[in-house]
Amino acid sequence: MDDIPGKIIGNTTVAGGFRRLIVRLERPLGRVTPGQFIMLKIPEREVFLRRPFSIYDSRGKTLTVMYRVVGKGTDALASAADKASAMVLGPLGRGFTVNKKNTCLVVAGGIGFAGVRMLLKRLGESGTLFLGVTTGDELKIAEDLEGPRLLTATLDGSRGYAGDVVSLLHRHLDEYRGKSPEVFACGPSGMVKSLRKLLEPSGIPCQVSVEERMACGMGLCFGCVVATKDETNPYKRVCKEGPVFSLWDLSL
Amino acid sequence: MGSLAVELFGKRLKNPVMNASGTLGYGVEIEPLWGVETMGAYVTKGLSIKPHHGNPTPRVWEERYGMINSIGLQNVGIERFFSHYFPFFEEKKCPIIVNFFGFSEEEYVSCAAGIRPHDLIVALEMNLSCPNIKKGGISFGKEASAVHAIVRSVREVTRIPLIAKLTPEVKNIAEIARAAYEGGADGLTLINTMPAAVVDIGRRKVPLKGGLSGPILKPVAVRAVHECSIEVPIPVIGAGGIMDTQDALAFFMAGARAIQIGTATFVDPFTMPKIITGLESWLDDNGCADISAIVGITHE
Repeated sequence: MDDIPGKIIGNTTVAGGFRRLIVRLERPLGRVTPGQFIMLKIPEREVFLRRPFSIYDSRGKTLTVMYRVVGKGTDALASAADKASAMVLGPLGRGFTVNKKNTCLVVAGGIGFAGVRMLLKRLGESGTLFLGVTTGDELKIAEDLEGPRLLTATLDGSRGYAGDVVSLLHRHLDEYRGKSPEVFACGPSGMVKSLRKLLEPSGIPCQVSVEERMACGMGLCFGCVVATKDETNPYKRVCKEGPVFSLWDLSL
Repeated sequence: MGSLAVELFGKRLKNPVMNASGTLGYGVEIEPLWGVETMGAYVTKGLSIKPHHGNPTPRVWEERYGMINSIGLQNVGIERFFSHYFPFFEEKKCPIIVNFFGFSEEEYVSCAAGIRPHDLIVALEMNLSCPNIKKGGISFGKEASAVHAIVRSVREVTRIPLIAKLTPEVKNIAEIARAAYEGGADGLTLINTMPAAVVDIGRRKVPLKGGLSGPILKPVAVRAVHECSIEVPIPVIGAGGIMDTQDALAFFMAGARAIQIGTATFVDPFTMPKIITGLESWLDDNGCADISAIVGITHE
């Protein structure tokens, strides 16, 4: 693994608060497993630590991440100018494991879409995406996604199913009975909790990409843990043992 | 070419650069980038008699020019460290310093007593910032008499060189340094993180209290190193906000015989190899044959 210098060549709004950042790297990132992430040094003096971002796309020397402004780091990133330098460490963490025998149902809530975008590209037509956003306009984030079947939910009810994405999945889950469904999820903690409630009776396999405040991104500091059901060692590092965990291992 | 090799506690280290405890995992995690044997010695994550689960999140928070952490000393315990991770250092012939802690004098003593001397173990590093559960949770490191007592108790049960890692949250750190020395410490690590808190303006809450680290701490650490290395005749290992070669040089000149890098690794995981190379170049550029020549050069 390498720390790769790069230059920002794109940093634009896609829809609502969703932005896409494109970095031209000096060297390719190499083999990426969907669900892995990078640590990005934001080109702004006031931002001290690097920030983790899911790999949205990686082709040769071109790396794309999708983000939403949620704090100091992403705020500074949004104003980063073209050609600004950015160091990229990665790919990091343990991504999704795809079993081709299963029917892959991908569930994304809001910016969680960034965490499953690469998985969806790999799955192509064999995948199904349940995408939940707040407003209809935000559905633009999935506009260029070709291949997977797309089912949408908006909280404002302006497009697709009116409500949250887990309720949308609920309405369709029966269609996949007997087809060995497996769920791949990324989204806010509320979404993950209701997903657990929905899937608990059936015990359908479910891999979920988890988010936490990070410092190093490489398992050095034990700052970004998630509580699991492992009684002898409950706190697992999101950056190292994750960010993808089995939903059934997590203690939510 | 100038030499970075140093002798510390009777062992020869290839350079005076180490990680600060708890900032380089169990040593194996950095392997995809560079090997632990690049450093003079690897300092273990803080170890205890029993494994510790650590604190719930948030455990880290960024500050301007630094960060606050409250990991809660999560670790696998001494026994598991030696059965599971130590063979990795043996294979690499990488010297280690074993950082350990306890919540009572008995716990410190049984930690130290349980570690057998080994060629690769340079020293034991006592984390004195832990709360003493039996004394109402006041940290062992805050009172000279308590430091003296606990260092002496640990000193009695081990032949391995003993380093006291001191907290900067004291009235007079030189006095604490002297107490550790007189209690039998063979060296000091200065400094641990400083107690700090953050406020989340949006939520109107204090989401995290913990230890402050990073470059914001450097001048405090430099002062502690300067004062304590004058006060006591044992080696001082400097730590606190070292980000680059210039910072490292300041610590040596203030009196540090070796340095530890912590938070800087999170910002740039190659900080340590870069500082090692940087120090070599500095020695050459300044016609300095040996890093030891500048240790404490600011002392008059």
